[in-house]
Amino acid sequence: MNDPRVIRVHYMLRAAILLLFALFIAHLVQQDALHYYVAPRLARWVRLCPLPLVLMALSLALQALFGKRGDLCDCEHRLPASGVAGGALYSLFLFPLLLGLLLPDRALGSAAAARKGFEFAYTSPEAGNRSPGGFSAEDPYEAEFAALAGRLHSLPVIPVLPELFSETVGAMNLYKEQFAGKSVQVTGFLYREKGPGGLETFAVSRFLVQCCTADATPVGILLHPQTPISLPADTWIQVRGKLAVISYGSGDVIGLVPDEIRTVTQPAAPYVYTSADSVAAWDELSSAAGY
Amino acid sequence: MSAFKLKWFPLLLPAAFLLAAGSIWLQRLPAPPDNVYLDTFKTAFLGILLEALPFVLLGSLLSSALRVFVPDETLARWIPRRPLPAILLSCLLGVIFPVCECGMIPLVRRLMHKGMPVYSAITFILAGPILNPVVFGATLTAFRAHPDLAYARMGLALAVSVLVGLVLYAAVKKPPLRLSLARSGGEPHRPEMRGGKAVSVFVHTADEFFEMGKYLIIGCLLTAGIQTFLDQGSLSAIGDRPLLSYLFMMGLAFALSLCSTSDAFVASAFLHTFPEGALLAFVVLGPMLDFKNALMLLSLFKTGFALLLFFLIFALVFTGSVLFSLVL
Repeated sequence: MNDPRVIRVHYMLRAAILLLFALFIAHLVQQDALHYYVAPRLARWVRLCPLPLVLMALSLALQALFGKRGDLCDCEHRLPASGVAGGALYSLFLFPLLLGLLLPDRALGSAAAARKGFEFAYTSPEAGNRSPGGFSAEDPYEAEFAALAGRLHSLPVIPVLPELFSETVGAMNLYKEQFAGKSVQVTGFLYREKGPGGLETFAVSRFLVQCCTADATPVGILLHPQTPISLPADTWIQVRGKLAVISYGSGDVIGLVPDEIRTVTQPAAPYVYTSADSVAAWDELSSAAGY
Repeated sequence: MSAFKLKWFPLLLPAAFLLAAGSIWLQRLPAPPDNVYLDTFKTAFLGILLEALPFVLLGSLLSSALRVFVPDETLARWIPRRPLPAILLSCLLGVIFPVCECGMIPLVRRLMHKGMPVYSAITFILAGPILNPVVFGATLTAFRAHPDLAYARMGLALAVSVLVGLVLYAAVKKPPLRLSLARSGGEPHRPEMRGGKAVSVFVHTADEFFEMGKYLIIGCLLTAGIQTFLDQGSLSAIGDRPLLSYLFMMGLAFALSLCSTSDAFVASAFLHTFPEGALLAFVVLGPMLDFKNALMLLSLFKTGFALLLFFLIFALVFTGSVLFSLVL
């Protein structure tokens, strides 16, 4: 068991670390940088964390400064018994804070996409061919894609909205035969990959984040292999062009023959997220934008 | 502790502030080294840590509220005496407490100190992160084209949790907790804290946070390292070899330490290259056993017991998912 004086020191150190954690999260919220790490539905909860952290820090500081000698004990939660163990413990907690403050907040890019494996066919390939013209679904899980595809197909230029990025790409992949030849406009970062035979693959893509950046999956539209592109990887581009069925790997995916590629600045929210009901979200967004 | 060592302790405090202040000052310097690995590592590491933080805090808060406000006898009266009802009740607890596994362990530790039997507690740890509506909905969305996988995930998780519970009921007689309360001289005395019960809840929450937080941070470090350096795209060749694909997906689930609501989406990316049974093993094993909670379990239980538990989970998930692929 540790001496009460030692316990006081530990409590003060812990209070300081908890306070730093609270400040770090507040800093991320204030810089609007939380979205680089967690999806919006989790960010809600992360934003609340400084409150218990500060309360914990204040309670610890209160015990350290005014707690009675006999009441300070670590019999239930053991405190580190040596200075070295304590130092190691607290530097472990300071490490994420240092990492967070020293390095700039950056969105994941091509390097991470190459590690995680690119997902060009977001929907299952078995879905295959459909009766021409109609968007019928075989099961209720495809019904959402079918409904979305019906709404998108009638537009002269299909916008791939960031709010519905994965769903739009998914719907176009599921009904690729019908979508071939349609015009689209899409924004994302340029992904370059050296394919077999030295042939380079280009794609315009975004990271789809479910909970946090650990589960981020790159989703995108392949650009036609004959496209000459000299831009470096990770450049943010807006591509306008016509959809076409392109063979990639062992199967066919929806691809894009670009008419126009222009560089744009990185959007404030670089990642995309799934939508609980993409059809309702589309109806809302399209009536607001007047498509 | 000697007075000599004590002298150095207060120095850590200004050092911590110096580091923080220095880092803010450094931000004003020319751009830091442009290293994609470092960026990816940082993004993955902080992503997992920030994702787990609310759950760890919630788990620690619930656990210390239980400690301060609920007398030991109350809880013991709620738990059924016979093992099977107790185990089934623990499976259902997850529906009420949809906490991810990092929040689960501090809570369960408190429940065990309050008299919850080991088999019941372990069943709760295993079933809680999977058997709840949030995870079921997420899995169904991820495997749009294969809803049978979502049902199989729930079924296998239930079966594994109940079986592990029953095996532990039959096999484990000695208390497996690493730090038993008895060691520190009978009943722990309840010191009066400055500021009353509310303050004492937060002091205990902080204690729990530091105790679990160190394993969480080490787990996040390992996971982020693997996420940064492992080329997941080139691994699809393994999917053609049946036995290896199961072992590989289970190893991946252990190493990636994903949250149970999002791992199905990651698994769905392997749908075309790996057999369905291997993906089932991935989504059932991951929430039960991964880097960060294995470390937390090792801190909570004696090493022998923890290793027995890891083996049971691994063997049952493997057998269950192979059976699933045979029946299909």
